[in-house]
Amino acid sequence: MDFGILSVIIFLPMFVALLMLILPIGAKGTRNIAFLTSIIIFILVSLVYYNFELSGYMQFREHHTWITTYGIYYSLGIDGFSLIILMLIATLIPSAYLWLWDGRTKGYWISMMLIQTGITGTLFAQDLILFYFFWEAMLLPVFMIIGMFGTGNRVFSTIKITVYTIMGSLLMLISILYLGVAFFNNYGFWSFALNDIVQITNLTRTEEIWLFAGFMIAFAIKIPLFPFHTWLLETYSNSPTGGVFLLSSIMAKLGVYGIVRFVMPIFPELYKEFAPFFVWIGIFGLIYFGIAALMQINIKKMFAYSSASHLGFIVTGIFSLNVYGMTGAAFLIIAHAMATGGLFLLVGKMEYSLGIKAIPALGGIAKKAPIFTVFFAIMLLCIVGLPGTSGFVSEFLIILGAFGFSPSAGIVSAFTVLVAASFMFWMFQKAILSDSGNDVSQMKDLNFKEIVGMLPLAFLIIAMGIYPDWFFYKIEPTIQHYLIDILEIRNY
Amino acid sequence: MMTPDFIYLLPLFFVGIGAISLMILSTFKTMTIRKGAIATLLFLVLAFLSNGYNLNSGDVVYSVYPFVDIFNKMIVVDTFSGYFSTILILGGILTILIGLHYFERHKQFTVEFFSLFLFSVFGMMLLVHANELISAFIALEIASISLYVMIGFQKVIDKRIEASYRYLVLGSLAGVFFLLGTSFIYAATQTTTIGTIGNMALNTVDSNAPLLIIGGTMILITFLFKIAAFPFQSWALDVYDGAPLPVTAFMAATFKAAIFGFLLRLVVVDFDLIRDFWDEVLVYVIIFTLAYGSFLAIIQKSLKRMLVASSIVHTGYLLIALVSIGVIGESAASSIIFYLVAYFLSAIGAFGLIAYISSEGQLRITYDDFRGFAKIRPYMAAMLSVFMLSLAGIPSTIGFIGKFYIFTGAIESGYAILAIVGIIATFISVYYYFKLIAVMYFYRSSELIDVPPLKGIAPIVISVIALTIVWGGVGNTLVAYFPGVDFLIDMANLSYESLFIWQ
Repeated sequence: MDFGILSVIIFLPMFVALLMLILPIGAKGTRNIAFLTSIIIFILVSLVYYNFELSGYMQFREHHTWITTYGIYYSLGIDGFSLIILMLIATLIPSAYLWLWDGRTKGYWISMMLIQTGITGTLFAQDLILFYFFWEAMLLPVFMIIGMFGTGNRVFSTIKITVYTIMGSLLMLISILYLGVAFFNNYGFWSFALNDIVQITNLTRTEEIWLFAGFMIAFAIKIPLFPFHTWLLETYSNSPTGGVFLLSSIMAKLGVYGIVRFVMPIFPELYKEFAPFFVWIGIFGLIYFGIAALMQINIKKMFAYSSASHLGFIVTGIFSLNVYGMTGAAFLIIAHAMATGGLFLLVGKMEYSLGIKAIPALGGIAKKAPIFTVFFAIMLLCIVGLPGTSGFVSEFLIILGAFGFSPSAGIVSAFTVLVAASFMFWMFQKAILSDSGNDVSQMKDLNFKEIVGMLPLAFLIIAMGIYPDWFFYKIEPTIQHYLIDILEIRNY
Repeated sequence: MMTPDFIYLLPLFFVGIGAISLMILSTFKTMTIRKGAIATLLFLVLAFLSNGYNLNSGDVVYSVYPFVDIFNKMIVVDTFSGYFSTILILGGILTILIGLHYFERHKQFTVEFFSLFLFSVFGMMLLVHANELISAFIALEIASISLYVMIGFQKVIDKRIEASYRYLVLGSLAGVFFLLGTSFIYAATQTTTIGTIGNMALNTVDSNAPLLIIGGTMILITFLFKIAAFPFQSWALDVYDGAPLPVTAFMAATFKAAIFGFLLRLVVVDFDLIRDFWDEVLVYVIIFTLAYGSFLAIIQKSLKRMLVASSIVHTGYLLIALVSIGVIGESAASSIIFYLVAYFLSAIGAFGLIAYISSEGQLRITYDDFRGFAKIRPYMAAMLSVFMLSLAGIPSTIGFIGKFYIFTGAIESGYAILAIVGIIATFISVYYYFKLIAVMYFYRSSELIDVPPLKGIAPIVISVIALTIVWGGVGNTLVAYFPGVDFLIDMANLSYESLFIWQ
């Protein structure tokens, strides 16, 4: 049985992790090997990126039978949309490792590697059961990493996020099973492969709506969209830095990815029909979480909400049904992951040095830690969407998309983004720049490893802001394919 | 080539002879527990090998009535019984291997225990071979009576005696229902042989139909009692909790498989007529079983009681597949068989490991006793986590695949509502299974606790079970030609087919 490069990318971290579990290697050795693994994966992913052809269809396909009786396949593949998220994961993880370098236990590193396997598997899976498999498997190391290494009331947070996500996953599971049975009744043989499932024709509208809801709730919990966000605050503030980094910058994006990969092709009609609803849910999330972020004095909680706010905006983008909104959403996924991921790492360091997270207790950081401040500023400018950063390009495109969808949506979102920007500047000024007289002498500036870890993020943020076409051309055919072939929208 | 009839009966023969010889051997002063266990294992392994020979020799699917002149089709040997015998014998072997430590540490156990143990295995195997209601009753009683004694074997502990009596009284009552049902069926059809009851029922006059339905319902009640389905579940918690842990493991994992084995034969081959009548009632039985079992499992503080209560929930899942049989015969029956294997592996692992842990040093009973267990014994904690994940049905374990089949079957046969209830029960189960993992990993242990590392054969057995669970969930994409999930499903399908070979 031959395995392609995608399988290697998925399973290499897992095998290394299991090997580390058995071998008597200490925390330091495990860390070095984990870092090496992430670098190897980065190289492999770069190869994939380089060889990716400009088309909107699945590439690097791997298709093997797994459970023949029920037509479950080990089926992998990527298109432009997965590709950019893959690039993102491959870049972010080694950077994060450099930041987490000291003082972590062996279990921490093993969990991180297992999470990497889970997220890449979720990203490649082209079979619904396989997707569910990785989707759930991803949860276990997250469960462990928050529960074992978190702070505060970590056990409660762990149980809460687990219960929430498993509830969503199980709703999705029942939808998947129902689709499988529908396919069987339709065609007389079993298959859970995405290519087959999209051809189902025998579902009634009521059934479709229920199944659609099953999928959407699962993804909405992960993102999180408005009514399903209550796990967010505790989890983000009690997670260890590595956990919150992965949750905010990668796993939340997988919820969006799931909508695009599965909900859109399986229920194209409902996707279009409910698009206005989700555009407004997204905008509502943008405003609601934006206001919630304003209320926080804890800086970590503030970023948790602002992250959710941007994810709402991404959802607006993918439901805007035009090429601007969708490309913008894809772009914001990257921009936001880099910026929020970077911010959480920076805040994690600040918290570690000073032991405080409240904004009024900070201030005057800029003098103690100038390099820290520079990076913090870059990330923040990207979040607020200043021209010259990738945040600007993506937010601009989504606002254009929202205008294309309905002018009122465009105006509201544009206005909200501006207000959010001014608030972020205020926070930055207060927490970092201003001389408040608080004692921040414990604050250390970035060391060499941390600078090396942060550089690729900062570089990409600026590069994507100045010359976005470099990054657009790989994803554009995919977006067009989505709009023309799947959603059958002619005049996008 | 014709295989002599005798060969087909060898597995039963070995276990039966083993039981009798251990009874004799136990009178010798020089017999120790360890020697007794080794002798028991020897007989079980012989039975396992001969059973494996039967499964592999000759046709892929077979069905034989050995010694027709003597037994008159009371016993049937087919792929189905062979498959279930494999589970049962394996259950016996694993229980002895994991429980040996427990038996040695607790002075009250004597070599007679192993004789009883083999008798109960014998009864269960006879049950899955039974092709006739009276012989099924005899088999059921052989297994049950041995279990009554095994539960109360540690005579000095009041809890054990109480559990034993409770089970004896209630179990006998359930047995009476079985006999009464059998006689009703005989009155209606003039036969007790499975396979002919259905035919006779079709030819018989309509006035006999109520008798048949009442008789069938009574037999169903016996089985619902034995598998602890609602509303006959009240004994389960106290009896299972009162029993010594290895016996609990044996009952939960193995006895349930045997009973479902016979129930499947009965429901699939015969009883078409009655099944339509039952299905509607069973839907409510399932919903209540799942709901009540989940409720019981949540409120338990003791780990053992939680596992017992959750076994009621697993009974509910299995019953979901049972009602699906009416619509989608083969795949539902196979899903029961598959799920039984999945549950069997996870339960015997979990119970067995907890039995081991609580046989040493301080007694560990509640969740809190396991605080910080992962720090003290990382290996045991990891294994226990695998079993919990499999019981909860998390992907990458065999438990997930088992649930997948059952729920898919339920949707396919139009019982989507049962699938949803099942999913909700699964969701609740995540709470009480994950709680143990959380307690083991996320807390620091407050007191010094002495649990010595696993000794002897037990760690190997435990890790083999855990690996099988993971392998059963991941399947055979990795290694070609190695039995994986597909193999287990094919086996389940084959054993289902063998039920329809008529001779």
